[in-house]
Amino acid sequence: MSAPTPAPVDRPPVGRTAGSGGVGNAVLVARREYIERVRSRAFLFSTVLLAGLAIVVSLIPLGVRLVDRATVTRVVVVAPDPALAQRAISTMDTFLNTNGATADKGTPTFTFERLDDAGAARALVRDGAVAGAMLIDRGSDGGLDFTVLSVGGLSPDRAQLLQVGAFAVGILDWTASQPPSTSPFVIPGFEVSDPNIAVGGGDATGGGTIDAAEYASRRIVGIVFVVLSFLTLVFYGLWVASGVVAEKAGRVMELLISAATAPQLVVGKIVGIGLAGLTQVSLVLLPALAALFASGAIGDQVLGPDANAGTSLAGLSPGLLAAFLVYFVLGFALYAALYAGAGSLLSRAEDLQIVALPLSIPAIMGYFPAVLALSGGASGFIRVASYVPLWSPFVMLARLSIGRVEPWEVALSLGLLAVTVPLVTLLAIRVYRAGVLLYGQPPTIRTFLRAVRG
Amino acid sequence: MTLVVDHLYKRFGHVVALDDLAFEVAPGQVFGFLGANGAGKTTTMRITLGVLEPDAGQVTWRGIESHRLPRSTWGYLPEERGLYPRMRVMDQLVFFAGLHGVPASRARREATAWLRRFRADDLADRKAEQLSKGNQQKIQFIAAVLHDPQVLLMDEPFTGLDPVNVMLLREAFLELRDRGRTVVFSTHQMEVAEALCESVAIVDRGRMVVGGTLRDVRRASGRRLVRISVAADHRLPWLSAVAGARIIQAGVERSSVELDPGTEPEDVLAAAVNAGARVLHFEVADPTLEQIFIDHVGRTPDEDMRLAPAGVDGGVEPQAEDAA
Repeated sequence: MSAPTPAPVDRPPVGRTAGSGGVGNAVLVARREYIERVRSRAFLFSTVLLAGLAIVVSLIPLGVRLVDRATVTRVVVVAPDPALAQRAISTMDTFLNTNGATADKGTPTFTFERLDDAGAARALVRDGAVAGAMLIDRGSDGGLDFTVLSVGGLSPDRAQLLQVGAFAVGILDWTASQPPSTSPFVIPGFEVSDPNIAVGGGDATGGGTIDAAEYASRRIVGIVFVVLSFLTLVFYGLWVASGVVAEKAGRVMELLISAATAPQLVVGKIVGIGLAGLTQVSLVLLPALAALFASGAIGDQVLGPDANAGTSLAGLSPGLLAAFLVYFVLGFALYAALYAGAGSLLSRAEDLQIVALPLSIPAIMGYFPAVLALSGGASGFIRVASYVPLWSPFVMLARLSIGRVEPWEVALSLGLLAVTVPLVTLLAIRVYRAGVLLYGQPPTIRTFLRAVRG
Repeated sequence: MTLVVDHLYKRFGHVVALDDLAFEVAPGQVFGFLGANGAGKTTTMRITLGVLEPDAGQVTWRGIESHRLPRSTWGYLPEERGLYPRMRVMDQLVFFAGLHGVPASRARREATAWLRRFRADDLADRKAEQLSKGNQQKIQFIAAVLHDPQVLLMDEPFTGLDPVNVMLLREAFLELRDRGRTVVFSTHQMEVAEALCESVAIVDRGRMVVGGTLRDVRRASGRRLVRISVAADHRLPWLSAVAGARIIQAGVERSSVELDPGTEPEDVLAAAVNAGARVLHFEVADPTLEQIFIDHVGRTPDEDMRLAPAGVDGGVEPQAEDAA
């Protein structure tokens, strides 16, 4: 050797003093894994694909507004006397169809038609022939009451606009019909009701429609988080397993296991690939968040300011983002440990396909209650699923996105997860230590049990 | 101050891999660990590395149990070679040395030096999957020695190497030994062991058969070998007069005659002279390791690499039973 290495016979070993432990080796393994993943072509492609997908999803609210703008909402108006109905129609037509500085006057937002029979109007709404029916009543105090019948054909934005229109009709009615001084102006009553549920009932008032908009925004944020978590955990879990199998199949394992301990190798691999996953999630989420943020401003620029549409980001609070990160990190550690242990029992890359499906079943079983939770479900099953460690990364995240979670529930779910992760990791290390030197064994339960027993 | 393999037992299911295996390796030696496939060589090395646990017994180095020692004590060249296929050679070497605690800058410097020694400087920037098998093996060897381990454990290091690389690797072994390192390698190629080792251990089915310095092992066999060359009839018809002597290798130039214990080389020479043969060359030699192996184990070390004898009917039967 020409390098300046003399040959002292009793030179102390250059390695760390302990044969086991040594965080340094785990860091080395993690760094190698991270670099290999991030440089790979699969990483580039999937990042671009997922980022594109997330941007599309985050632009959905803007798209809804665009589509909404092009839609003409047909509303029939029923009033006690034809003159009031005619006046209400012309007033609302003037106010609502020219609403906004840059509104396009060519395509009206609403078309109003007069109808004299409330029952006929109700039937039209039920049949879906019109988006809504506005029933006007004159109260005993001379003020007007508006009831809008709708079976979902009216978007929250449009319902909000109708309330503005009703207000205008009320003011004009007050100024036109009598001298302003004789009786005080009464704010017109306004309510939206679904004729299928109860006529004139329900409490979906103006305030309720704003909640619905925020709810929709929270759902979109929740869907992005849950889908992203699910895809990333399963995808990167498989990457952990295939990494272990590749090291075994390529026989690098012999060299690795003689140079580093099983805990160093397992932890290093999970951390390295996990960081690669986090990098990808950031690369996917940041542009999507930017798009979500920008879509509000773009919408205001293109469609005119709209008080009801500025809630795209309402569903995303710093707390939710933090919860996503915590559940992602813990959930990844859990799944990656499972995948690492499973991978160590396989000898060939082909065997990975055999275990890939059974391994993703727990994740899929957690994905469904998460989707249910996102659509407003709150059954006992969803509640319990949000505490179960394998599922809580999806289900609790979904519940948190929608809201209505008690602090103790979050604490319980996080606590269980935090306890399970090290236990499963220890088990995985045990399987790994025995498994990495086993070749040619079929991936069965028996192999697994023998590996655990050591 | 030795590497002691202390009565190891190890079973895998019903298979007994090691059965009271015991031997010692003096430091600073090249030690040959000889046996056929399945003799337990790899298992012994893995136990030494602390990767496997023995059912009973232990391995110690300088009095300390091997699995309590830092892993960088050992340099390991596994029988199954493997590198990360997509990683550049230099990156792999730095990575593996790093696992043994060698700083990256030093690892890079020493790796460059070793690559130059192996006349393979141009490999540093290539990916492992682009290398020939022989070159991959060189890289693995470098990976095993970069952290300058005290003991090198090399599992069948010469298998699959072309003659040039065998020479390079031999030189590297001897150089490491000269620097005070202990080199243990397993092989089923007896000529290689004969040319390199100070001491050997012959194992069969997990048991120690014979071991010690090469000279002692040869002497202990009680056999001796005479190499003789005579003018005229090279079939040595007069040899039948000598009890306990038989030709094991006949040749026109030179024949090898094996002597049973009790038969002296002088008897052969005297018989030749009595028969009037003109002796051109006469040499007393120790038996070959191959012969000793056959004596002790009852078959050649690489028997499973040779065709089994053909059946009596002369047909080649793929499913013929073991002709032992």
